[in-house]
Amino acid sequence: MLSQRELERYKRQILLFGEEGQEKLKKAKIFIAGAGGLGSPISIYLAVAGVGTITLVDKDVVELTNLNRQILHYDRDIGKKKTVSAEEKLREINPDITIKVIDTTIDERTAAKLVGSSDGIIDAMDNFPTRYVLNDIALKKYIPLFHGAIRGLYGQATTIIPGETACLRCIFPKAPPKEVFPVVGVTPGFIGMIQANEVLKFLLGTGQLLTNRLLIWDGMKANMDEITVERDPDCISCGKNKRPMEREK
Amino acid sequence: MKVKIRFFAQFRELLGTDIVVEPSSGTLVSSLIKEITQKNKKGYDAIFDETGKFREFVILMRNGKRLDNSDANKTKILDGDEIAIFPPVAGG
Repeated sequence: MLSQRELERYKRQILLFGEEGQEKLKKAKIFIAGAGGLGSPISIYLAVAGVGTITLVDKDVVELTNLNRQILHYDRDIGKKKTVSAEEKLREINPDITIKVIDTTIDERTAAKLVGSSDGIIDAMDNFPTRYVLNDIALKKYIPLFHGAIRGLYGQATTIIPGETACLRCIFPKAPPKEVFPVVGVTPGFIGMIQANEVLKFLLGTGQLLTNRLLIWDGMKANMDEITVERDPDCISCGKNKRPMEREK
Repeated sequence: MKVKIRFFAQFRELLGTDIVVEPSSGTLVSSLIKEITQKNKKGYDAIFDETGKFREFVILMRNGKRLDNSDANKTKILDGDEIAIFPPVAGG
């Protein structure tokens, strides 16, 4: 049941989704991997939308070089754990939801436990090795994965429904090289909004998801393209030759 | 025959996009892309490694369908083909 306060807080979006939709958001548990450039806007907008439980995982400390894009963290937070800084802001932004933060590294050993029984996993990471871990755990647990990545003024996003759509490795079998990537805050802001929008539609069961489509944003040209993608039967994560680790259920 | 080559993101900055070319029949996808990218060394180097092979992370799409990088050396371009070449980004 929504409280009087919640009915008031979400009044303008209840016009869109109804109280029933708002209830769905309230019951939802979303896992956000990363409290950086993508994780900041995503967590803020999902918090204000009233997603009931948001778990945010990050292992880093706020640095001055983060502040051009990681809008959850302020100048006064430099040196603080990102989880501490994020929790503080998100609780203030919406005290009516549950915020859980975990200060740890996401890897093959920790991922299953961290993700738990979330309704959706949001990829707000900054590297492909961890993204592949998230992809594998999403496939194993049949939890949707909302992918986003950025560089400079370019970004990409797609939504993965395990067992139904192309997985992250079907689309990107090989990781791009590691680098200190150039970035301006508007790009993760933009791609993060696409991911958050996908999460809301998924939770509400409405609209058309960005599945089997890779959205490519070119901020230089203010142009959005789409590439159709499909499952790769030979994919090592979800295809017939998947590795033994992914075969367990 | 006419085919269109579309570069995305950084590749677009270096090489332009929506390049329409008229290759002779029997031209391989890899040869055509090599020919087009020759004009810009940075663009070529971003897509091909020192041995002339596609860098392994480069995504190739032919008419909206994924084309395995190694298959591009065996696949002939057909009239009306649209080839998309895309570098995934990894930041967050």
